[in-house]
Amino acid sequence: MATGVSALGVASADGAGQVDAARGRRFIRAVLGNRKATAGALILLVIVFMAAFPGLVAPDSPQASLYPPNLGASSKHLLGTTQIGQDVFSQLIWSTRLTLLVTVIVSAIATCISMIIGVTAAYIGGVTDRLLTVVTDVFLIIPVLPLLILLAAYLPPGVTSLVIVLTITSWAFQARQLRSQGLSIRNRDFLVAARVRGERAIYIILVEIVPTMTSLLAASFLALAVFEVGFAASLQFLGLGNSSELMWGTMLYNAQQAAALESGNALWVLAPGAAVALMGAGFALVNYAFDEIGNPALRPVRRRRGGRAAA
Amino acid sequence: MEQPNPNGSAPVTSQPLLEAVELTRHFRLGGMFSKRVLHAVDDFSLTIHEREIVALVGESGSGKSTIARLLARIYAPTRGEISYRDRPLHRMRSRRALFAYRGEVTMVFQDPFSAFNPVFRVSHGVMRNLALHRPELTRQQRRQEAARVFESVGLSPSMLDRFPYEMSGGERQRVGFAQALAVRPKLILADEPVSMLDVSVRAGVLNMMAGLRDQEGVSILYITHDLASARYVADRVIVMYAGHLVEEGPTETILREPRHPYTQLLLSAVADPREKVETVSSDTGEPPRVINPGEGCRFRQRCPLAIEKCSHVTPRPKPIGAAQVACHVATGDTAELSVPTSGALG
Amino acid sequence: MVAEPLLEVRDLSVDYLTDAGDVRAVDRVSFAVEPGEFLGIVGESGCGKSTLLFGVAQLLSPPGELAGGTVTFRGRDMVRLGRDELRHVRWRDYSIVMQSAMNALNPMKSIGSQFRDVFHAHDGASDEQIQQRSEEVLRLVGIDAEHLKSYPHQLSGGMRQRAMIAMALLFTPSLVLMDEPTSALDVVAQRSLMIKIRELQRRLGFAVIFVTHDMSVVSLYSDRVMVMYAGQIAEAARTETIFERPLHPYTQGLMNAFPSIRGPRRELLGIPGRPPDLARPPGGCRFRPRCPRAFDACASHPPDLYPVGDTQVRCLLYTELAKEAS
Repeated sequence: MATGVSALGVASADGAGQVDAARGRRFIRAVLGNRKATAGALILLVIVFMAAFPGLVAPDSPQASLYPPNLGASSKHLLGTTQIGQDVFSQLIWSTRLTLLVTVIVSAIATCISMIIGVTAAYIGGVTDRLLTVVTDVFLIIPVLPLLILLAAYLPPGVTSLVIVLTITSWAFQARQLRSQGLSIRNRDFLVAARVRGERAIYIILVEIVPTMTSLLAASFLALAVFEVGFAASLQFLGLGNSSELMWGTMLYNAQQAAALESGNALWVLAPGAAVALMGAGFALVNYAFDEIGNPALRPVRRRRGGRAAA
Repeated sequence: MEQPNPNGSAPVTSQPLLEAVELTRHFRLGGMFSKRVLHAVDDFSLTIHEREIVALVGESGSGKSTIARLLARIYAPTRGEISYRDRPLHRMRSRRALFAYRGEVTMVFQDPFSAFNPVFRVSHGVMRNLALHRPELTRQQRRQEAARVFESVGLSPSMLDRFPYEMSGGERQRVGFAQALAVRPKLILADEPVSMLDVSVRAGVLNMMAGLRDQEGVSILYITHDLASARYVADRVIVMYAGHLVEEGPTETILREPRHPYTQLLLSAVADPREKVETVSSDTGEPPRVINPGEGCRFRQRCPLAIEKCSHVTPRPKPIGAAQVACHVATGDTAELSVPTSGALG
Repeated sequence: MVAEPLLEVRDLSVDYLTDAGDVRAVDRVSFAVEPGEFLGIVGESGCGKSTLLFGVAQLLSPPGELAGGTVTFRGRDMVRLGRDELRHVRWRDYSIVMQSAMNALNPMKSIGSQFRDVFHAHDGASDEQIQQRSEEVLRLVGIDAEHLKSYPHQLSGGMRQRAMIAMALLFTPSLVLMDEPTSALDVVAQRSLMIKIRELQRRLGFAVIFVTHDMSVVSLYSDRVMVMYAGQIAEAARTETIFERPLHPYTQGLMNAFPSIRGPRRELLGIPGRPPDLARPPGGCRFRPRCPRAFDACASHPPDLYPVGDTQVRCLLYTELAKEAS
């Protein structure tokens, strides 16, 4: 089919250097235009703020046992106190930073690993592909809980171990998908052109392929983040974290240890649980904006005012 | 741009630039143990001289794109040999030798949309080519050279900083040629460079190609399914069918006196809007079987001249006048062998 | 007395509603198709020909939208028809063949079962009638009826396109719309398919609107040709007329852009420049920036379609203004 300039989308301006700004604008417009994404972005902004400036929101010390234990909600203690008299609200806010950091770091590293492995497997093909696919499959199949219990015996409990374990068990999910994406573009002419130029494989993978996958990578990162929040909290709840570290998961663990529900201190349990859900929802909602950027068919349909929408 | 060279003129030198002998490429279909082999190219030989445009004409499944990729060393041949300036390619194993080859033989692609990485500006390919193959240039000099190359394909240097989506298909194809020219090649393998362009834009690109031959002294292997455009730019024409070379020779010879029935069929199917000649053929254009094809001419099922011999002896290109033709009937080779070759009968 | 045309399109306009603004892809196009006529619509990328076809077939989807005009098919205004009424008319009275069979055929279903689907969507025929008719249409297009059991990927490109045409003929419509049905095919297959389409048309008497970028394909088979540029009709005439004496400079440029295979070798010129950005169409004549024969008035007076003999041409060269300029 003969092709030329599409009458619809071409910028006839001498556009040099406008594209990156245009892409950024397009993203912001996509986020603002989509209610779900806007909501998600707001949630995440609040969370980031709380992580950055916890002292502004909750001036009380989170860990000092200053108060009477097991108080209910009140104007002085918005979410009550723990069994040993710590302010729950304070703990919640001050735990945001570490929770967010762990989530983001794990998601970022796992996405990077899965990208490198997935794309390399797709591009180099052959034996390397089979080898990497086997490795990916092994990591996919590993039963997480037994592995964790095993590792818990050897690794010191705490954030570092958490990050290691989470990364090891999460990278494989996206690797397959990124490999598929890599397969779909490996025969695109611009990559063959790079080969014909004499570029090395590493260059092609890192410089020619990966930049074309940025929205997929961002979406992978966000999808992973949704998962990691809950997963991290679950692991800590099972006792595999360090109970003295300030994270929502450890709050759940401590609450459980103190039989909070039975002793009527439901808020201590509900608050961190809700926070985990909220952070996950934030990431998930922003992910909608990426769907839209990637697939124009999902964009909201503009109707002409007073006109008839096409049949 | 000057008028293209009159067809049929002898090239400036007769030193062959690139020679392929009995080039064969097979692909195994299915898994490792499958017996189904796709014969993309079989026993294909060609010669390209300096300052020459050779058109490689064929339809889909003819193997022409595979030839391009074999010559660009993207695939390795299953059999056969390619020599560049008398040096066989399989001797060029070292990374340096391979790299040097890539600096002399480049490729232009068919699809102006997928030939460019959308993330980078259109100068990216040119600059990378210069950085890799002409390392003696400083950054400043590279920029100047990029501008010069753009101008030689009829593009303004101000377009260097555009992104692919900001340019039309025709402009992008010119950038493709600019990229190829940046390394100062001796041969450009152009894989259907105008097929995806609007008709009104093709003329400009074809004229540019002829100009590259005349002014820059570059040879071009012009791969196409369109005989008419081949006639316009090419000095010689090679016709392929189902992985085989069926006819080749100087352009006007092939087009005025096509000997092979397939060439004749192709010619009759090309419609010219200025002519009302309506030739009717019952041929439906079904593509040939090239999976485990066996011996014999691959055109025989569609051929009005087919004889018994065509079913079990594969015709080889033989000279008729200035052309080479692979057809028993056309070359008068209709006598059966008195002693059957092994496996040919029964 | 002149018989009523089968299809009459008046002042049809189609807009695309984009973030960057509304783009008028088809601008007040009018034409008519007589019963049994073969109309070729020719133009390059971005001229609006496919959009026009979809607009006529009531197949536009967002962001494309009808912006005005009427489409009268057999006396009924298609634009006003509701969904159910449309479904009744669709495929029975008119059908459409898409550019690429691989995009339109379901790769997971056999040809026969897809034909069945069409029947179920538009009619309640018995299984036996469906089978019989399916075999019949396949034979019509030159495919062995055995292939009802085949899947699309088992057929060659040419055969798939024929299967698409067979599908379009299931109810013997009086009008078949075709959007570049041959562009994915090789030359020989293309030629063969065109001959078959023409033969079927003569036999069954349906009208055809054939959209293509390749003038040479319609030159041998169409009764009339409409050349489109930048969303408008540039020239419309009987096929012989337009090829013997193209009037519009764009049509002339197009004709000169084809390398000749048989005639004497001449230099090819092509048409420099590119089509206008329809989001911001130029004032005056849309072809002016690329026109070798433009004069002053062309920049300020957008030309209408002027009759010159049997031809309609959108060019000021054929008006009084041209005589004033020279």
